[in-house]
Amino acid sequence: MIDVLLQTLLNAAASGGVYALVALGYTLVFSVLGVINFAQGALFSIGGYLTYLLMGGRIGVNGALPGWGLPAGLPFWLALLLAAAGSGLVGLLVERVAFAPLRRRGAEPLLALITSLGAGVVLVNLLQLLMGAEGYAFPEAALAGLPNALVIGGARIRSVQVLLLAVCAFAVLVLTLWLERSKGGRALRAVAEDATTAQLLGINSEAMVRLAFVVSGALAGLGGGLVGVSVSLAGPYMGISYGLKGLAVLVLGGLGSVSGAIAGGLLMGLAEALVPSDASGWRDAVAFAILFAVLLLRPSGLLGRRPVDRV
Amino acid sequence: MTPTPPPSTVVRQRGALRLAALLAAGIGALAWLGRSSDPAAQPLTAGPLTLGAAIAFTGNANLYGQDQRMGLAVAERWAQQAGPPARPVRVLLEDGASDEASAIAAFNLLIRQGVIALIGPTLSQQAFAADPIAQRLGVPVVAPSNTAKGIPEIGHFISRVSAQSSVIAPLSLDEALRRDPGIRRVAVFYAQDDAYSTAEVAIFEKALAARRLTPVTVQRTQLADNDFQTPITAALQLRPQLLVLSVQAVAGGNLIRQLRELGYRGQIVVGNGLNTPNIYPICQRWCDGILIAQAYSPELNTPINRRFQQLFRQAHGDRPPPQITAQAFTSYQVLFEAIQRLQRKGGLTGVTLGQARTRLMAELLRGRYDTPLGPIGFTPKGEVLQDRFYVAEVRMAPGGRDGRFALVRERTLQEAKP
Amino acid sequence: MIDNGLLVQMLIGALLGLSVYLPLAAGQLSLATPAFYAVGGTLAALLSTRWSALGATAAGTLPLGSLVLELLLGGLLAGLLALLVGRLVLRLQGIYLAIATIALVEILRVAILNLPFTGGAVGIFGIPQPFATAAGYVLPALALLALAGWWCQRLEGMPLGRAMAAIRDDELAARCMGIDTTNVKLSAFVLSAVLAGSTGALAAHFLNTWNARQGSFDVSITTLAFVVLGGSRSWLGPVVGGLLLTALPELLRPVGDVRLVLFGLVILLGPVLAPQGLITPALLARLGRWGEEKER
Repeated sequence: MIDVLLQTLLNAAASGGVYALVALGYTLVFSVLGVINFAQGALFSIGGYLTYLLMGGRIGVNGALPGWGLPAGLPFWLALLLAAAGSGLVGLLVERVAFAPLRRRGAEPLLALITSLGAGVVLVNLLQLLMGAEGYAFPEAALAGLPNALVIGGARIRSVQVLLLAVCAFAVLVLTLWLERSKGGRALRAVAEDATTAQLLGINSEAMVRLAFVVSGALAGLGGGLVGVSVSLAGPYMGISYGLKGLAVLVLGGLGSVSGAIAGGLLMGLAEALVPSDASGWRDAVAFAILFAVLLLRPSGLLGRRPVDRV
Repeated sequence: MTPTPPPSTVVRQRGALRLAALLAAGIGALAWLGRSSDPAAQPLTAGPLTLGAAIAFTGNANLYGQDQRMGLAVAERWAQQAGPPARPVRVLLEDGASDEASAIAAFNLLIRQGVIALIGPTLSQQAFAADPIAQRLGVPVVAPSNTAKGIPEIGHFISRVSAQSSVIAPLSLDEALRRDPGIRRVAVFYAQDDAYSTAEVAIFEKALAARRLTPVTVQRTQLADNDFQTPITAALQLRPQLLVLSVQAVAGGNLIRQLRELGYRGQIVVGNGLNTPNIYPICQRWCDGILIAQAYSPELNTPINRRFQQLFRQAHGDRPPPQITAQAFTSYQVLFEAIQRLQRKGGLTGVTLGQARTRLMAELLRGRYDTPLGPIGFTPKGEVLQDRFYVAEVRMAPGGRDGRFALVRERTLQEAKP
Repeated sequence: MIDNGLLVQMLIGALLGLSVYLPLAAGQLSLATPAFYAVGGTLAALLSTRWSALGATAAGTLPLGSLVLELLLGGLLAGLLALLVGRLVLRLQGIYLAIATIALVEILRVAILNLPFTGGAVGIFGIPQPFATAAGYVLPALALLALAGWWCQRLEGMPLGRAMAAIRDDELAARCMGIDTTNVKLSAFVLSAVLAGSTGALAAHFLNTWNARQGSFDVSITTLAFVVLGGSRSWLGPVVGGLLLTALPELLRPVGDVRLVLFGLVILLGPVLAPQGLITPALLARLGRWGEEKER
């Protein structure tokens, strides 16, 4: 019995960690702009493919440059970091093209839903033209030396997922510390709290918005790279379903709340892990049903304060 | 008391009415201009005949569409190099995308361009949307990859070269049982939102029942799933001795890898969706030893398959072609050969396009074809009659990046039991 | 060139655009349209394939009257569902409402996939046809659109329409003016659902087949794009947006593999270049005044 419980918790953590990471990406942008960046799922895919390419992976027969690859591959960790940075830059590009022009005109925030979605469509389809739709797995040397799985009290988990969870936790910790302690992080929070006051205090809120997009893009990219090493790259659309789940997690935890995003991610993972296998077809509905119920009972999410408060 | 609307509102409403009238006129004009212009009544022109292929180049099904595109390209080269044909044939490719509406649009477009027959669409769900249109207009369709139940039954112009798994799947089960007759506990995995998987798993379950095996668990996954930690741990708790997987290629590769990583050591039998070398890079060395039921074996040693392999390798490097590529090749081949026979009989002279389509359909169903899949024919309904099926075992090369489907067993239809 | 089949798809797009527009005209960003579209489509698919009283023949034809009945029933069922759900979700505002309605769409999609009588992943196929060709569908689709358009045009002069506009401008002020905001929002939501349900019933016949994928998150977003690109200040905006954006990927076919990249660019750049959409109040005013100067 205890091992079944432990197994459920491990399963929950394994998927919940990534959900939290994706939701965090949404949260940062939402907290400073009050909008949702629908290109987040595409940035997730980009992070995965960039990690693959940086590790020396080759483009398949259906890509734009079949057989092409970098002459030398980087170790996984370095590739992952660089890919996250690359996704951060693409995130910045998305901000410049899809968000900045609307902000300058003071347009309705609704429009940003559509422009960011358009950016996502462009990115995913470009990725497909470049890489083809086939699946890619990272070279096995990526995590050489690790055992296949860990057995903890009768429960099993693949070691790559433990690693994934650890990296997610570490990223969340660094992010929280950065938001709490560093000058840049505090400035970001100040903008999120109240852009006008922050401006009066001499904080460049435009720069903070850009920073939020870079960090949020990097988080998505990190998620893509980690999922890639765990379960391979399943095609350019791989990020979309994570993006949708992340959206649910975001609201579950409370829009704009960092701790809420983490709690929401783990809770979503737990809810999915608890669905009995006979009813596994209903799994995706369970996640959204919880979201629906939470919204009706507590519209600001589990850990969100009133909708106006953010971060 | 209704306040009189300010004049600006009146002006705007008048503007809206005018625009609405304009739109209505525009739509009317479009409806008139876009009237059915199926050129079926026109006489068949001399020169090459056109086959229309509506295949997924965009959307989720692109993964199969790109493999099908390779098959059609290889087929065209095969036809060119086989000497001057009695009647040249060319292929017109259109993106059928991955949804129903796009498949309908692509079929309509190709039919209006005067194609003599259609190849596609990629997904069974799309076929249920687009095939009735071809059926109503009397345009022959050869489906290269639709495996759902009920496809040829859409109408007598609809046929397929993609065999349903009903005959194939049990073969691999028999092979697994031959290797280990003591198997009692079987676990089944399938993608619940996929038409192919749901059709195939029903056949696997029936075949299991016929062998007096009841699955200890049936795990349902989703098409987009690639992390199977939860279903695998749930299944492994029941200590299965045999695993049966009916999922698509990338998900299947992941499933196999994760099963092995989580400690499953027993035999794995997989369905047709994994009959593609695309799984090698995903499950790598873990693919080794899985049993697969095939509608196409790259190792079949016949002249046409050797030729197909040779042309494929010339274009795409040294790797075996996926089953779906071979089936796309076959869909072209059967149409090409039927057209040549019809031409030689004089059936394509002095007829309208519509008559030519009807005659082609009759000729297509009548013929026997020696294809890379083995010898095939059709039932009068248009269902493929494939004589030979194969059971292969995946053998990975050292290093685990590449492998082959080593032919274990070849069966003709008569030997196979349900 | 645009053939009748594509024209029907465009008209369906325009109808779905209108369905997203209606709650938005009352200031409510609801993305539930695909859920109601799916309900209508599933009902029509089930009725026409299972219920012999509708008169489907073995040859796969269906009397026109049965189609009309299905449109009514599809709209009715979707409207009833909206009445139930609307009371709950319309308490939410802005992005919260949007996400709650996305959740609704996903829940219904999974339900249609899992229910024992909806055909699972394959769906329901062999849906009988009231018309022999696609051209036949132009008329009912156009009639439905004309009806909905006529109604939206009239709405602007009706108390309900004015109350919707007031809520959109400022909900609090509208409540202070004595407008029953709850009921007005609910009315707009139900109307939107009825329209989506009827459209789904028509689409099920047009598509010959129906499955859970028809009402998904993707549809939520594309239909929202119809409204945003067309313009959300007049009912003609979503109509024009739906017509154009449905046709665009088809018209882009000649460019080949990059057509979806271009489509994405249009969605990306459209709101940047025309934040109010194509059909703006200013444009309508100009059209309304056109010719006046000459008369003077």
